[in-house]
Amino acid sequence: MRTIASRSPGSSLAGKAHVTPSGQARLALALGAGKAAATASRVLRFGGGTSFPGSVARRMDPRILQKVGAATDVRKVIVTGSNGKTTTCRMLAALARASGLMVTQNRSGSNLLQGVISAAVRGMDLRGRMHAQLLLLEVDEATVRLVTPDLQPETLLITNIFRDQLDRFGELYSIARGLEAVVDTLPATATVVLNGDDPLVASLATRTAARLVYFGIQADSSATQAPEHAADSIRCVRCQHLLTYRAVHLSHLGDYQCPECGNARPGLDVAVTAILPSPDAGFDIIVETPAGTFPLQVPLPGLHNVYNAAAALAGVMASVQRPPEPAEARRAISGLRPAFGRLEEIRAGERKVVLAFVKNPTAYNTTLFEVLRRPGLKHVLAAHSNTVVDGEDFAWLWDVELEQLTPQLASLVISGTRAEEVALRFKYAGARPADLQVLHDRSTALHAALTQTQPGESLYIFAGYTPMRELRSIMQRRGWVASPWEE
Amino acid sequence: MARAPMTVRICYLYPRLLSVAGDRGNLLALIRRCSWRGIRYSVTEADVGEVPDFAHADLILVHGGQDREMTAAARDLAAKAGALRDAVEADAVVLAVCAGYQLLGHYYDPPDGPRLQGLGVLDAVTEGGPTRFIGHVALKCDLGSGNQHQLVGFENHSGRTYLGSGAKPLGQVLGGAGNNGEDGTEGARYREVYATYLHGPVLPKNAWLADHLLSRALAHRYQDFGPLAPLPDLAEEQAHVASLRLARRPAGRWRAAAAALSQIGRTLAAPAATGPDL
Repeated sequence: MRTIASRSPGSSLAGKAHVTPSGQARLALALGAGKAAATASRVLRFGGGTSFPGSVARRMDPRILQKVGAATDVRKVIVTGSNGKTTTCRMLAALARASGLMVTQNRSGSNLLQGVISAAVRGMDLRGRMHAQLLLLEVDEATVRLVTPDLQPETLLITNIFRDQLDRFGELYSIARGLEAVVDTLPATATVVLNGDDPLVASLATRTAARLVYFGIQADSSATQAPEHAADSIRCVRCQHLLTYRAVHLSHLGDYQCPECGNARPGLDVAVTAILPSPDAGFDIIVETPAGTFPLQVPLPGLHNVYNAAAALAGVMASVQRPPEPAEARRAISGLRPAFGRLEEIRAGERKVVLAFVKNPTAYNTTLFEVLRRPGLKHVLAAHSNTVVDGEDFAWLWDVELEQLTPQLASLVISGTRAEEVALRFKYAGARPADLQVLHDRSTALHAALTQTQPGESLYIFAGYTPMRELRSIMQRRGWVASPWEE
Repeated sequence: MARAPMTVRICYLYPRLLSVAGDRGNLLALIRRCSWRGIRYSVTEADVGEVPDFAHADLILVHGGQDREMTAAARDLAAKAGALRDAVEADAVVLAVCAGYQLLGHYYDPPDGPRLQGLGVLDAVTEGGPTRFIGHVALKCDLGSGNQHQLVGFENHSGRTYLGSGAKPLGQVLGGAGNNGEDGTEGARYREVYATYLHGPVLPKNAWLADHLLSRALAHRYQDFGPLAPLPDLAEEQAHVASLRLARRPAGRWRAAAAALSQIGRTLAAPAATGPDL
């Protein structure tokens, strides 16, 4: 475990040889313009300034990320992967704060280049001094190769690789190759934190000089039998033989081995050794780490959140000098609420709205099974749109187990710019054609869905990123929920 | 006396290996459209190492996968080749999508790696290209019947496929890249083999093609088979029209600029609170 050098707060970048005075002036200009853009976008109400300030600042100073990377007085942590980035970051931030550090983060889901720079702009003063000791960035798995070389993070954490937005990335393996190239460039002073239970992720670090930390689940209690049919990468990365699993925890994540070439799950540095469902929809877990045993209470539903907790604990240990004590860590994790749109519960007068952000088959199935465990028929609003963030190809909806939802439907409203696609999927999943109400306008759809939900009942919203933000901001305007950047 | 219900026998190749882009929806479309009409069906799955009885299959499905999975399928297909070729010559219906399409041709040359031998059922060759064709596609096709149809879907492939004289294209591209981005063709057909790069999956939103495959499969089995009963296909037609619109919209750059302008306009014009109160 490496240490954070003691420092006086806010030492400036100007003291470093490779940032010239004119470079410093340019940076100040860029930071000032970015901050002005953030204020302007908030005042003019376009989206709370999650990416606009970054694009303005980068326009003013294209080398802005390199200059942030040169700041040695702040630890930089990048979290990437297909699923669990946002929740892992929330947990990691809570753990870092529990060990006494100030943390600057990018906003939920704002994980493309502009969003990353926006976070840096927000966290720095005009002289390029970072207020926080930890810069924690959730970065999209395709953007990470643009960010990492400039930013030179001390820690790179990879949660998992699932099939996500194939139309943007081409193929699963090209995502893996891209991540591997990033991992390869990291120096021996950096730490790579990898999900050991993900055969594709565990294979990423064969050539890197960086220190490796693997996290995963060692417990059998929750194991299911065989990977679901949405499972990805169940062939051996080395010899392409079918992998066998001693335990499968989630999709293709588990304790695997290749009967052909002997490739197997690596030894875990941070291992969840016990998982007990707790009465309030979360889990009580025990995590064994080099720094001791951590009994944690994960207050979020779904086994994926156990992985997120293990990832966050491994990440904080790799990044801070004094990791939190078990009791501090327990307090930090148990106090978390679901992130923006992760089965987030919103009071809508006498009704309740449960917001589920679903972006790929694995995330959708995981959330769906969690909802199906709850008693009673379900009122559902399903919405998907084709946007730069959400992608154009919704073929993956056919890998979601919506057949299990249709028998439990009380009412169904479908919205978004790809509503027809979603309606067709629900029809073939067994929804009655008469129940397929397509209302493209998000506000009208929400109104119709809530009208069919009786007082005291819940409306479940399954939505892609853009329609979810739209629906949430409608609820914000009604005063049912605070803006995500005010929480 | 009422005649016994008809049965269509479906053989689903590589359900685990070649299953990447929701293409299992094609199987779902076929079996639902059978059920809704009271037609019985059986589904036989055959993965690596299993050779199904192709002589007893009316409809064979083979779908897409990534290069790694495709390599494993190509190796395995050699063991299935003879019986599968015989079934094709006996007019069994085949739907082949993406990698499945490429594997029915003579060969596929991946960008990095040795040539993959195909089945040679289709007179077509595929070469890996430097870029991927990714986007919505629409074709016009008549399948030799004189009836014009439109086929819509989503393509995502780096392989460029070129047809020889022994295969006809499935259709002509109205929007999107198609077989190779050069000659305006998409897909291939030979006897009752229908091959395409279109995902979506292709059959649910092109109900006419699903029904065409079903009726050819039933004709393969029953000499006295009449036309299929029509179904209420409102959701199918709406999804078809929406995809057609996406495939035929103007080029990406103008689209992005227009979207950005209208977003700014909406943002500046938006009143503080909208929508009915509950």
